[in-house]
Amino acid sequence: MTKFMKYKSLLLVLSLLVSFPVFSLTVNIRSFDHEGFTRLVFEGDSGFEYKIESSKKGLEIRLNKKLTIKSSITTFHDSRLIDKIIHKVERKKSSFTVKMKSPYTIDRHFVLERPFRLVFDLVKSPGEERIQQSTGMKKYGNVQQEDQDFNYERPKKRTLIERICIDPGHGGSNFGAIGKSNLMEKDITLKVSKKLKRLIESRLGLRVIMTRTGDAEVSLDSRAALANNQKANMFISIHVNGSFRKAANGPETFFVSLKATDQEAFRLAEKENKSFEEIDKMAEDDELKLILWNMAQTEYIKDSSKLAEFIQNELNILLHTTNRGVKQAPFKVLMQAAMPAVLVEIAFLSNPAEEKKLKKDSFLEEVALAIYTGINKYIYYQNSRYY
Amino acid sequence: MSKKIIYGLVGAAVVFFIISLIIFLQSDSSAEKAKPAEAQSKSVEKVEEPEFINLKVFFYTERSRYMRPVLYELEFPPIREDLYLKFMDLLLKGEENYIKPIPEGVTLRSLYYIEDENLLVLDFNEELIIKFPAGTGTELEFIYFFVDNFCYNFKEIKKVMFSVAGNNIKTLTGHIDMENPFYPNYGYLIDQ
Repeated sequence: MTKFMKYKSLLLVLSLLVSFPVFSLTVNIRSFDHEGFTRLVFEGDSGFEYKIESSKKGLEIRLNKKLTIKSSITTFHDSRLIDKIIHKVERKKSSFTVKMKSPYTIDRHFVLERPFRLVFDLVKSPGEERIQQSTGMKKYGNVQQEDQDFNYERPKKRTLIERICIDPGHGGSNFGAIGKSNLMEKDITLKVSKKLKRLIESRLGLRVIMTRTGDAEVSLDSRAALANNQKANMFISIHVNGSFRKAANGPETFFVSLKATDQEAFRLAEKENKSFEEIDKMAEDDELKLILWNMAQTEYIKDSSKLAEFIQNELNILLHTTNRGVKQAPFKVLMQAAMPAVLVEIAFLSNPAEEKKLKKDSFLEEVALAIYTGINKYIYYQNSRYY
Repeated sequence: MSKKIIYGLVGAAVVFFIISLIIFLQSDSSAEKAKPAEAQSKSVEKVEEPEFINLKVFFYTERSRYMRPVLYELEFPPIREDLYLKFMDLLLKGEENYIKPIPEGVTLRSLYYIEDENLLVLDFNEELIIKFPAGTGTELEFIYFFVDNFCYNFKEIKKVMFSVAGNNIKTLTGHIDMENPFYPNYGYLIDQ
């Protein structure tokens, strides 16, 4: 009798769970026409993973979850580009089909957090764009003149970010830093890199290349070479830090710079004693530029610095760390990367408290999310420079 | 008084005057000679007197990631490299209550200064590679401990290069490029 009662109560709980939409998802769709592009936003009350399929007729977004609303059709009468969006549920998963009024291209797409938003900026296909531009040239001739007068610097070339290279530091017999509990840097970097890969692929739909996917030894030169050969648009090297000082803590993001100066530390030192300023100038001679360096990274230093800034900010917010600032150092692995490249030191394995954190999968998940958010914000920043 | 006596007395007086004059002049010239001798002895003393140089050696502390200075006075040796070696000894020895970013067993094999390039080359023994604890932080701490200290204290040194057992190395533990010389990064120092 008691056993029967137990089964009965269990069945009751299960039936409640099934009937109550605990894992339900609501998505609001909106679209606006902007100058030169149409923005389409899917706003979810929680995050969702998705896959994008683009064809001439339209755009298909497949979700990994089922929406609370049933199949529906939303029509956009006033939109320049979007005709209607059809919501379907197949095999307990929702999908949206965006029907277009004319041929289109996805100019960019990205994810914004809090609340979760999947954003598409759509433009008419290049053929149509060209026609528009050629007519627009005459119409907006004066505007172009104005730009020239103000010496407005327009970005010369636009590179869409399509491929990201993630580099899990160390591997194989190269253990990297080792904690007191024998926790190895090579294992942590691989875990975080895999989590980051998953986030980028599922949320941004970008291609991710890994310099290693298992416990393999990969030389520093071949890591950058792989990214260059695969024409990656971004290089993210993941590492765990170590220090002679046990108290050293917090995440740090580095990029390669001609001026080998830690800006934050420099400002502090400058405050303390102005003589540092004079001495620092000595180090900035032309010779420095000659030696630093015959490297592929030189061209991308500004972008790398910006990328490092975005990632470091997110790490500081998420991990509640004081801002240690973006740092500069001649990293071997970054020097030959012909793309914006940064090296992220997620925490100090030499610090006992941080070693404890590094053992937790939830912490590594948070780190990956912070890096992903930084990357996403950088992509948004880069794209916005062109409009 | 006879003329003979008068002449005798005058002659004796003249001889006495001449002798006194000679004695006076001799004593004067000997005094004059003594002066440079004294000066010479003084200058000899100056050469022998050791000259000292005041130096600020920067060390890491557990609490801060910036190096803090400790004042030292070193005797100025006649050869420049000897002064660098003495300074290097201070760095390798470390200071009580400060952190030395050098693994145990690491020693300096040789040191040389290339004047034309304002470059100091530090060559360590193989223990540096064998015993070095991995990490970007450890590498940077080690590198700038030497680079900043040398460049700050000796203005003629503008860059420092590292080698191990006479050979160039790519990195210490897989992070910082060691194939090029390092310029100072005074962001690691606090001059208090």
